[in-house]
Amino acid sequence: MSGKEFFVSRYEQLGWKYRPVELRQAIRFNHTINNGNQQALVLRLLSLGLTLEKISFLPQGYWVCNSKVSAGATAEYLLGLYSIQEAAAQVPVTLFSNLKGKRVLDASAAPGGKTVQLANDMDNTGSIVALDISKQRLTALSNHLERCHVRNTIVYQLDARNSPKMGLKFDRILVDAPCSGNFASDPRWFQNRTLTDVERNARVQREILMKAAECLTENGEIVYSTCSLEPEENELNIDWAIHRLNLQIAEINCPGTLGLTNVFGKQLDPSIVHCRRFWPDQTQGFFVCKLVRCPST
Amino acid sequence: MKIKAVVDFALQFGVKLTFNENLLVERDGRIFLLNNQIKPLLVKGDFFYAGIFLGKIRANKFFPSFNLLSIIATQKANKIIVDQKAGWLFICGRDIFKKGIVQTYGRIQRNCHVLIFNEFGECLGFGRVLTELTQQQPQTDKNMPAVANVLDIGDFLRRERKT
Repeated sequence: MSGKEFFVSRYEQLGWKYRPVELRQAIRFNHTINNGNQQALVLRLLSLGLTLEKISFLPQGYWVCNSKVSAGATAEYLLGLYSIQEAAAQVPVTLFSNLKGKRVLDASAAPGGKTVQLANDMDNTGSIVALDISKQRLTALSNHLERCHVRNTIVYQLDARNSPKMGLKFDRILVDAPCSGNFASDPRWFQNRTLTDVERNARVQREILMKAAECLTENGEIVYSTCSLEPEENELNIDWAIHRLNLQIAEINCPGTLGLTNVFGKQLDPSIVHCRRFWPDQTQGFFVCKLVRCPST
Repeated sequence: MKIKAVVDFALQFGVKLTFNENLLVERDGRIFLLNNQIKPLLVKGDFFYAGIFLGKIRANKFFPSFNLLSIIATQKANKIIVDQKAGWLFICGRDIFKKGIVQTYGRIQRNCHVLIFNEFGECLGFGRVLTELTQQQPQTDKNMPAVANVLDIGDFLRRERKT
């Protein structure tokens, strides 16, 4: 069960008609370095030939409209004044409430775009534990932290499924789970992916979610996200989590379409509607939701 | 050893740094400065990165991080401010010519180290002074390298290409 026809037919069953998309490049300002002066940085980049347009749903996000220079090779980028970060991928961190001073777990952190965003939104207060399994990816993450002057993060080479072994509890947990990806960000996606891959990834994601829930404080929040369009990795996993892990879905104020409550004929919990799904358009495909502990009875 | 390497490096810029040694940790020759929030999270000895990366020691030589340069930059350090073109060429790994220098601060003598700033007051790296830069000696050739590039923020791009 693979191939473009197979997956496109699934998307149609889920209510979205496939069309090829052209992603727009996006950047995110690091306001802790830039002293919060977004307009000055917009003008500074404009003088280099980089025309930006504010992304309406992101506090620090901008579309790159026109560029005479590579956005990843300006002095301003190297100084850490901004990061290149896909627009939908900027959403998960914005869903946490009140990050300052909190202890945060970034369960699958590399290459570090969201870790830097967390540190930025925390104003480098509190602490972040960032995990990733790949040493090579941790090198990229570390360079990213150094470039953006992140000071509140500790990085471990650790599989997120082993996070309870650290013996720590966290107020906020980002599970940006390793996933199958989507065709919008990978031109060979349809050729390379099978349903078996998707199901294997979904199992790993459940294990990560389960372990993350073990590390969550009583009033903690988990934001779960993937850049997959496949419901096995998204709504079906969240439906599983809210029935097994003493978690419930929190309402979020976020763009995107509502989470699917009926997947291939299977009826899911009605609260799944509070999840958000980004079908590829200007952004890549993406899924996000926020989980909190069920109130104790 | 680790604290001495960092302090000695800062002294080259005329800056005396002090650290709480209890908050300095070393991992594979890399030196990190923690804070009281992060220190309790050192639950495993084999962390990969922590707090503020200050630099690394390789073959008994200290290589500073850009975070350390930023810390030094907040003090009264020897520094020069360069114009946009000289700043860009510096980031590309080139030396600085005297004609690109807008202003100098501190004790700028031959062979001493200086931080390099752009006109926005941002630290681009550091270099070694090759020639006298004081106004008393204006005859220095404006088209000759005045500061040799030692480390610049273009290093992040070079690292990206490696990984």
